[in-house]
Order: sequence, then structure tokens, then C-alpha cells
Amino acid sequence: MTDTAFLEADEQALAQRFIDDGFVTTPADDRAGLDRIQRRAAELAADFLKLPHGNDPYAMLDTIHTRVSVDDLNGLRLHVFNGLNAEPWFRPTYFRLARSTIETIVGNELCMQRRVNLSIQLPGDDSSLLATHSDVWSGDSPFEVVVWVPLVDVHRTKSMYLLPPSLNGDMQDRMASLRSAEELYQTIKPHATFIEIPYGHVMLFNQTLMHGNRVNEEAGSRWSMNCRFKSIMSPYADKRFGEFFEPILLRPATRVGMQYKLPGGFHG
Amino acid sequence: MAERAGHRGYIGARPLNGSRTPQHVQNIVIRDYARRKNLHYLLSAAEHTMPGSYMVLEDILDELPRLRGLILYSIFMLPPDEARRRKIYDRVLSEGCDLHAAVEEITLSSRDNIQAVEDILLVNKFATIL
Repeated sequence: MTDTAFLEADEQALAQRFIDDGFVTTPADDRAGLDRIQRRAAELAADFLKLPHGNDPYAMLDTIHTRVSVDDLNGLRLHVFNGLNAEPWFRPTYFRLARSTIETIVGNELCMQRRVNLSIQLPGDDSSLLATHSDVWSGDSPFEVVVWVPLVDVHRTKSMYLLPPSLNGDMQDRMASLRSAEELYQTIKPHATFIEIPYGHVMLFNQTLMHGNRVNEEAGSRWSMNCRFKSIMSPYADKRFGEFFEPILLRPATRVGMQYKLPGGFHG
Repeated sequence: MAERAGHRGYIGARPLNGSRTPQHVQNIVIRDYARRKNLHYLLSAAEHTMPGSYMVLEDILDELPRLRGLILYSIFMLPPDEARRRKIYDRVLSEGCDLHAAVEEITLSSRDNIQAVEDILLVNKFATIL
């Protein structure tokens, strides 16, 4: 046995947590960047609601249900989603929130989803739920991970749930006998874990595992963002390179390799 | 009765008739169709990539009492089994909803429309494309 490993001890521990639990949560690598995103989201929400920009973005987001109706919620969501994604600093900052974890779990030549998604769930609102699913079932590659970032504290039904890796295979085997995703949720419900994440932390999770959300029964509104990352040379599924993913980190050796041509012109 | 929400989009991850359309393009087609038909579009649900799975469609059918209807990206996303399709038409119509297919610009809002839809699906099954 060697006394020197390829991975550092903390990388090994993080990788093992990801394998065992299906997710890891860590403090944001770039806390100032996260605060900038949160502040911009609150400003965009205020613009949509024709309110002045406040100085407490957390409170603005967490209590948004006091200012917007369910009917206007998707309009608000699209306004903030488009506004954030239009900022040239937004996607690089999003990546920097979890860069060290992504590089440990996925690799250091990466592609990133072109648009970072935004979810808003008002307390008691059943109009924007995500039924039990695995992203792979709707065309994502099993080589992808999701970086999920709340803009407010999330816990219990204000958060998302995830089925542990140890149970996911058995539940998948029972799927074909079930009629709907709601039946699937009722089957996995005793085993699904709602993940508690305080603002300032990020989560990276295994999107091949079943996950989703339920009606938010907590006091505050949930704001969360999600974005997929994958190793650039790993296999793609229906979410293709170019149309869904774009490269963000391509190393020089790979560029050289892709351009290299063996000498030609031999006739012997 | 509470106000019904609108029309739920339905997109897919499986090829249709041998062709693949990116999911965001499917959404653009549905959104454009809804705009032209003056329908209130609700965020699409994406069917599973696993062949033969219609779990997501079943979830939308369960949601019908709160909807005005659904908009499929294409009529060819319906299950291949005719009896199962007819159950879907029954559920949609008995809930007072309608079913649209954006690519083919089809509206199924009464039992009178069913045969025309079935004719398209049947011809597609047997006719070849050069």
C-alpha cells in the first residue's frame, strides 16, 4: 500500500460523501458573488413589482408572497430569470460559487448549462411543483451534476427532496408498475429526505437520483437556482453540446489534441 | 369552482418519427402556438426518455380539473395504442378541457374531432416517407 494518494484527504472525503449521500453542501466559494446575485435578484423583483430597490434583499425575497399573487408569479420569475441570465458576470459568478466542489466531483474541463434556472415557490402554492423525477429521464446525461443554490434559507418543504442512492435502484425497478409521478412520490415518500441548506451554502447533487419538491408549507418563499455541469468529453444525452451546454473550461492540452493532425502524404 | 389555470405544455425527450427536436425548441413552438390561439400557456412538462413511459402525461391528465387543457408539441407524442389514446380523449373531454397539438395545429375539443386525429395517426403508421 502506498503512503501517497492521488487525491487529497479532503477531496476523498467529499467524493465519498457524494457517492454515499447523493449530494454535498458546502459554504459558497465566493460569498461576495452569491450576495451580488441575491441583491440583483431582489432588484429585478422590485423592478417587476414597480417598487424601489431596498437594502435588505434577503427579506425582499423571503417575503415576496406578500407582494405577488400566484397569477403573476411566473411573470415575476421570468423577469428575474431573464434579467440574471442577461448579466455577463452572472454565469461565471455562479460557477465560482461551487468551483472547488465541481472540480472535485466532476473534473476540471467543464461545460455548463447555457441558462441558469430559477425557481420560486410561494407558501401554499401548488402551481409550480416539480413532480418526482430524475433529470436523466427527461434527456439529461447521467454524467451531469446539478449545482443548486438557494437565495434564502431552505428547510423541510421549502427545500427539495432527494432519494438516497442506496434506495434509488430498487425504486426505479418498481417504476414501470406505477401509473404517474404522484404514485411514484407516494412510493418513495418514506425514504425521501428534504435537504436543509442555509443561505450562503450551495449544494451539488446527483441528478440521476429521484428528486422533486412539494407544496411549500413553511412561512417564507423559496428562491433557488439550479444549473447543470458536466465533464466536457463525457457522453451527452438529449441535452446536447451547443444547444444546451457550452464549454467554460477547456485546457490547452485538449485544444492541442483536438487540432493535431498526423503527418500525411505517404505512398509506400 | 376555482378558476382554471390555462393550458399545460407537453414536450418529449424521445425522437418523433425518427427526428429529434431540442426541448427548448419544442417549448418555443408551443408558446408560439398558444400565443396565436390566445391560450394561456403553462410551463411544459417533459415526458420520460424511456420508451413506452407516459407517466408525465398521466400527471397532466390528473391535473386536468385545474386546467383548461393541454398542448402537445406534436400529436405523434400520444401513445401508440389506440385504446389508450381513446381513454385520453375521454378524460380530456369529460373534464371540459381540450387537447391541442402545436406542430400539426390540431385542436380536439369535441368527440367530432377524434376521427380526424385518429386518421392522421393511422396514416402515419402505414405511409412511408421517401
